[in-house]
Amino acid sequence: MAQRLSEVDVVVIGVGMVGSIVAKELAAAGHKVVGLERGQARFTVPEFQSPAIHDELRFDVRKALMQDNTREPVTFRNHGSQTALPIRRWESFLPGTGLGGSMVHWNGQTYRFQANDFELATRTRERYGKNFLDPDLTIQDWGVTYHELEPHYDRFEYLLGTSGKAGNIKGKIQPGGDPHESPRSREYPTPPMKEHFQGAMFRKAASQLGYHPFPQPSSNMSQPYTNPEGVKLNTCVFCGFCERYACEHYAKAVPQTVILPVLLANPNFELRTGCQVQRINLDSTKGRATGVTYIDAAGREFEQPASLVITSSFALNNVRMLLLSGIGTPYDPSTRRGTVGRNYAYQTTSGVASFFDADVIVNPFMASGASGTLINDFAGDNFDHSGLGFVGGAFIGAVNTNGRPIGYHPTPPGTPSWGKGWKEAVVKHYNHTVMIGVHGSSVSQRQNYLDLDPTYRDAWGQPLLRMTFDFPQNDLKMSEHVTAKAVEIGKAMGAKQVAGSPRKGPYTTQQYQTTHNTGGAVMGSDPSTSVVNRYLQSWDVPNVFVIGASAYPQNASWNPTGTLGALTYWAIDALKNKYLKNPGPLVST
Amino acid sequence: MSRVSTRRTVRTSGLLALFTACAFAAPPSTGVGTRPPTANAAPCEACHGASGQGAPPAAIPRLAGQSADYLEKQLRDYENGSRENPVMRNFARGLRDSERAQLASYYASLWAPHAPPVVPDNALKVDPQQLVRGRQLATEGAESERVQACDNCHGPEGSGLPHSAPYLAGQSVEYLESQLKAWQQGTRKNDAGKQMVSVAEQLNSADVTAVSAYFASLDAGQGKELATPVP
Repeated sequence: MAQRLSEVDVVVIGVGMVGSIVAKELAAAGHKVVGLERGQARFTVPEFQSPAIHDELRFDVRKALMQDNTREPVTFRNHGSQTALPIRRWESFLPGTGLGGSMVHWNGQTYRFQANDFELATRTRERYGKNFLDPDLTIQDWGVTYHELEPHYDRFEYLLGTSGKAGNIKGKIQPGGDPHESPRSREYPTPPMKEHFQGAMFRKAASQLGYHPFPQPSSNMSQPYTNPEGVKLNTCVFCGFCERYACEHYAKAVPQTVILPVLLANPNFELRTGCQVQRINLDSTKGRATGVTYIDAAGREFEQPASLVITSSFALNNVRMLLLSGIGTPYDPSTRRGTVGRNYAYQTTSGVASFFDADVIVNPFMASGASGTLINDFAGDNFDHSGLGFVGGAFIGAVNTNGRPIGYHPTPPGTPSWGKGWKEAVVKHYNHTVMIGVHGSSVSQRQNYLDLDPTYRDAWGQPLLRMTFDFPQNDLKMSEHVTAKAVEIGKAMGAKQVAGSPRKGPYTTQQYQTTHNTGGAVMGSDPSTSVVNRYLQSWDVPNVFVIGASAYPQNASWNPTGTLGALTYWAIDALKNKYLKNPGPLVST
Repeated sequence: MSRVSTRRTVRTSGLLALFTACAFAAPPSTGVGTRPPTANAAPCEACHGASGQGAPPAAIPRLAGQSADYLEKQLRDYENGSRENPVMRNFARGLRDSERAQLASYYASLWAPHAPPVVPDNALKVDPQQLVRGRQLATEGAESERVQACDNCHGPEGSGLPHSAPYLAGQSVEYLESQLKAWQQGTRKNDAGKQMVSVAEQLNSADVTAVSAYFASLDAGQGKELATPVP
């Protein structure tokens, strides 16, 4: 029997980036907020300090910062006709756990999506005609525009101190930035990172080919920065241990370095760690949440009543929480009815390994999670798709993040995969190879979705999330097209051998690609095709807000975190200025 | 609680330290460096000692075994003023590139045994609690001050991480304190990313002394092995 606790104003499920920002804003506005975090509390000192934090075996291979999949895995299958099995070892994507969430182990790559992305369905039809899209694709508009989100992108970037060079300020193209970007209201808060040698080689070749290279926006700092919350970040030292690791230098923008000190100092906020939320509780009408039920680290069950529930526990877990709580109608791919779990999408990544002679020394270990150089000439709708048979695109860049000894050893095709030949090839190529990344969009389509697994349960007895996903043909065509462009750049850089590997199906969870899982609780203006309205408020239970990349109707060409930060501040604005003044649906159905 | 001198709190006892200091009062026989053929090290030796062992009372650092790249950069920075020191500026600005490189590699190749300084009893008073605090700052950092561990960059026990991060183990309290204050006051601003400025401005004067005393208490010999420049 759950012990019933005294009621609070707001309960936040998951104290990562989104949860920290929402809790900080609502606590500062005078509301009593409880943050429930399933993982441990952790801070830059002592948890993130070296030499322990540079343990490649522990963090890279054994994924110490990730969701515990001995207790709570995700099951996976490519197609609805298959039986899904639990992912017992994270490889393809790496959902984090613990205070600060997945952002603790991010690379700091902080992009904005383009205006076109938020109205993708409408603009694609306008530009290429009604019949351009494969009827199985379920891409749709977001219900919010870039123009509406711009001030919130700005606020998020200034919270993080993002380093970069603007390409378009209020419609005026800026030299050195990305000319394709949608207008921003002002320059980045800090100047671009130092360019690594691979980035410089890429920039030269891309410029010669007529493209528009620009520095990768980075939330690892190029200089000391104090954000509007009064929290100070230090300069990055380019150690090359960002993704999969935490930063020991206070140099990577994560909740611990940008907002938690302010949140934790507010007496209106209470953090509870080791708390596994089982479900959001609903009243008898199923139209109103009464709070949540959780189990603490000692196995005790509690009911935490609250007037407002925020789910902010990563895209996949947000969707699972709705399904476990009976909020909304689960999506059924055979009838195409229901919305929860619909439009799961990912990221279509590929790579081009460019092998140079021994006189080209790249020092790959001198890198940050975001210090490369890239082009957006083949991203989004920045090029004409007529006759190509796909929508979307990819950025191409020398965006190497590390040269870590266990994880980084590029070898040319045909190299033995083990033994003396492999070792010799690793030694030969380690310091003379440029990996060009191709980071592509992912469309939603009818057959890809999330639901509850009928067989497998977590350590608390709850059904696991089941992922059904394979790459849409649209995205494989996109990858082939854009990867070929990246190969041309590799050749123009003067590489002796260029090995391009466009993404091929089927999707596998056994190869690292990216943790950009999106969709499943998408936003929109039509309740029959979206789970939350344009303010990320549940259509079905208006005192539940679902904030995460789960809201993306499909994924764009860039890393999703910048857009998630913008959506977070956009939702907070609606919460503070609309919802909390007059609780109820913010959009009528 | 009585305050004790640093000498009695280091791992070697005060008596041994005193013995060691006496034993090596004469120029050490363990120096292995080859004097630079063209650059003249004699002006350096006048202050930094014949084997680069430094002169603690005057806050003059050890150079022996220090990273050559680091030393070479310091000579450039004395000249360009990003590290302010009138004496060193005079010496540094007459040097040619080749002389800087030779002096730097010469001192990197030297070794001087660690000799905790013999100083008047009224100097260098350090509370053992301060050493505990210093060790915490050096190896763990402090979340409340938002200072990361020194060892992140300066290596395990301050043994240095060539090329750019110097060893701190075995440097004197006087020297280390003077440098942390220089970072605070802006008379030293020659770090690439203002990392040292960011760290130093978070430290109060008690922490400056504590962390300096901790590194001064470490055996520089430990730094020797780990700080050997990468070929």
